Amino acid sequence: MKLLTKLTLFITLSKVAIVVLFVLLLPALVDKIAYQYNDYYLKEQKKKVLQVISKNGIGAYLQGEKNYGSYTMLKEEYISLEPAGRFTLSDTIATVRRVVEEDTLTYRVLSHVFTDNQQRYVLEVGKTTSTISQYNRPLQRVALFVLITLIVITIMTDLVFTRLLLRPLGLIISTRLVNRKFPFREQLPHISTSTTDFKYLDDSLIELMGKIKSAFEKEREFTSNASHELMTPISILQNKMENIMTDGELDEEVQKQIMGMMKTLHRLKKIVHSLLFISRIENDQFPKTDQLPLRELVTTIMDELDERLQEKRLSFSLQLPPEATIRNASHDLIFQLLYNLLNNAIRYNKPGGAIMVYDQHSPGTPFRLMIRDTGIGIPDSEMATIFDRFKKVNRNGQEGYGLGLSIVNTIAQYHGITITVSAAPGEGTIFTITFPDSMISG
Amino acid sequence: MKVLIVEDEQAMAAEMEVFLKKAFYLCDLAATAQEGLSKMEENQYDFILLDLGLPDRDGMHVLAEARKNCPDASYIILTARGQLEDRIRGLDLGADDYLAKPFSLLELQSRMQAINRRKSGLNQSVVPLGDFAVDLSRRRVTCSGHEISLSRKEFDLLSYLLLHKNRPLTRMQLSEHIWGNFSDDEADSNYIDVHIKNIRKKLSAHASVEWLQTLRNIGYKIKI
Repeated sequence: MKLLTKLTLFITLSKVAIVVLFVLLLPALVDKIAYQYNDYYLKEQKKKVLQVISKNGIGAYLQGEKNYGSYTMLKEEYISLEPAGRFTLSDTIATVRRVVEEDTLTYRVLSHVFTDNQQRYVLEVGKTTSTISQYNRPLQRVALFVLITLIVITIMTDLVFTRLLLRPLGLIISTRLVNRKFPFREQLPHISTSTTDFKYLDDSLIELMGKIKSAFEKEREFTSNASHELMTPISILQNKMENIMTDGELDEEVQKQIMGMMKTLHRLKKIVHSLLFISRIENDQFPKTDQLPLRELVTTIMDELDERLQEKRLSFSLQLPPEATIRNASHDLIFQLLYNLLNNAIRYNKPGGAIMVYDQHSPGTPFRLMIRDTGIGIPDSEMATIFDRFKKVNRNGQEGYGLGLSIVNTIAQYHGITITVSAAPGEGTIFTITFPDSMISG
Repeated sequence: MKVLIVEDEQAMAAEMEVFLKKAFYLCDLAATAQEGLSKMEENQYDFILLDLGLPDRDGMHVLAEARKNCPDASYIILTARGQLEDRIRGLDLGADDYLAKPFSLLELQSRMQAINRRKSGLNQSVVPLGDFAVDLSRRRVTCSGHEISLSRKEFDLLSYLLLHKNRPLTRMQLSEHIWGNFSDDEADSNYIDVHIKNIRKKLSAHASVEWLQTLRNIGYKIKI
């Protein structure tokens, strides 16, 4: 899951949890606050009543009777006065039920014991609970509404901020990792961010890539130097033998010996060439900027191979639309790729056989070029390893050094081309070359 | 013709010298860029064979400086394959040709001849060959005025053999010249035979081709 998604989910869920918790706690909270405030209010009222009583004298209220009860003094609350029993506790506040004019009502009642003229009285100040909690529901509703609004606003700002905060990370991933191609040749500018963690990440990646690049450069330098070092002795040997050969008066036996040596040297040279060629492709040394008409390319290659075709009396058919063109390719490499495949198609063919080159292109599928021969095919046991380097296979007594198809494979990978093989031993082989969309023009 | 070989690999320079001397070139050797440049100041050269991988100076700079000193010389650049090959091909360095090591001395001489032909004009490029005349520039073979049509590869083979006349050339050397990097060791040797057979057939209709000799188990030779 993406970090942004995770954060979004977390932010949203945590806030929703807060809302739920608040909704659950709100009635109890509001009730508690209402009662607490009410109790405090009753105490204040009690003080007021006591002041009034002590000013007017208790007699003014009792007027000889034992009890006094009234709504008039405090308007909102009732008060009652009566003599206290012996066991009446001092101040209490309690919720009690009272029957008033045949209605049972719930009151919040403050009882206060006080002494006047050596007589203990109980003063009660009470208020109906329905009046205490009458604003609870609207209050809760308003509180809930305000809360939800605030939560929505904070979620929105959080998301916007998170998105902004994480943008450098996305930028680092896309520019440093996703869109970079080994060996990270071009130096990209630092990502501008005020988050030190991202800065650290970016710097570390740049440093890492720099290290990879320099290691790669070293390897390339090595390859280049090694090639130079290998080629020079081969060169000297070859030239020495050439000089001996031009020495006209050699006896035939010696000439044959030297020729044998030249053949071996030639083989060595070809192997080193092929290895260098592969390493140069892997080192990204061939620009992919050419636009190639496939039909023309295949025709040119077949002209080169004409003798081989004729010697084996092979028939060749080419079915490619003249407009079939690939782009973003290296001419030399694609030439080599097709050359190697066509050369194999000839080499492993049977006398009088056929080679067919044709395209397969229907809407919605990528452009595919097929090279089909009626040759000896490839046994299943070798199928998995035909593209491997130095996989030596013995076919018809011909020694293969496995580098031809290895080069094909390297070139294909370099261009993003997919090559698949289907073969039936004794019947022939079909190489299918699937070009990526980026190489198909139009 | 005077040739300066600027090559730090002494053994290689020596082989080149041996070969070119036999082809009647006068050779000077220089093992460093410094030495080469000072030789250029002292002498005039027709050819300068310049190795780009010299120990003391960057080959590109040496070439630029050399061209200032010896503007009339023809330059052939020698490089290790893969090292600068593509850059050289892509850049117009003012060299007349380049050869990637390892190269065949026969190929070197053939390139030098081609440059000579280009620079000296068309007249000298017709070479007599028995009763035939080979026009190397126009790529034509004639026999007392009759043109004999040869395929591209047939002509290449004939002119290569002619250039290295009186020397045995192996099938491999010939196929390397014709197919270059694409030569296929074993297989192509046979095609050389086919081409030679065709050349003989086409030419012998007009005059004797005794000069084209087959060396059993080795290759071919033009003997004149």
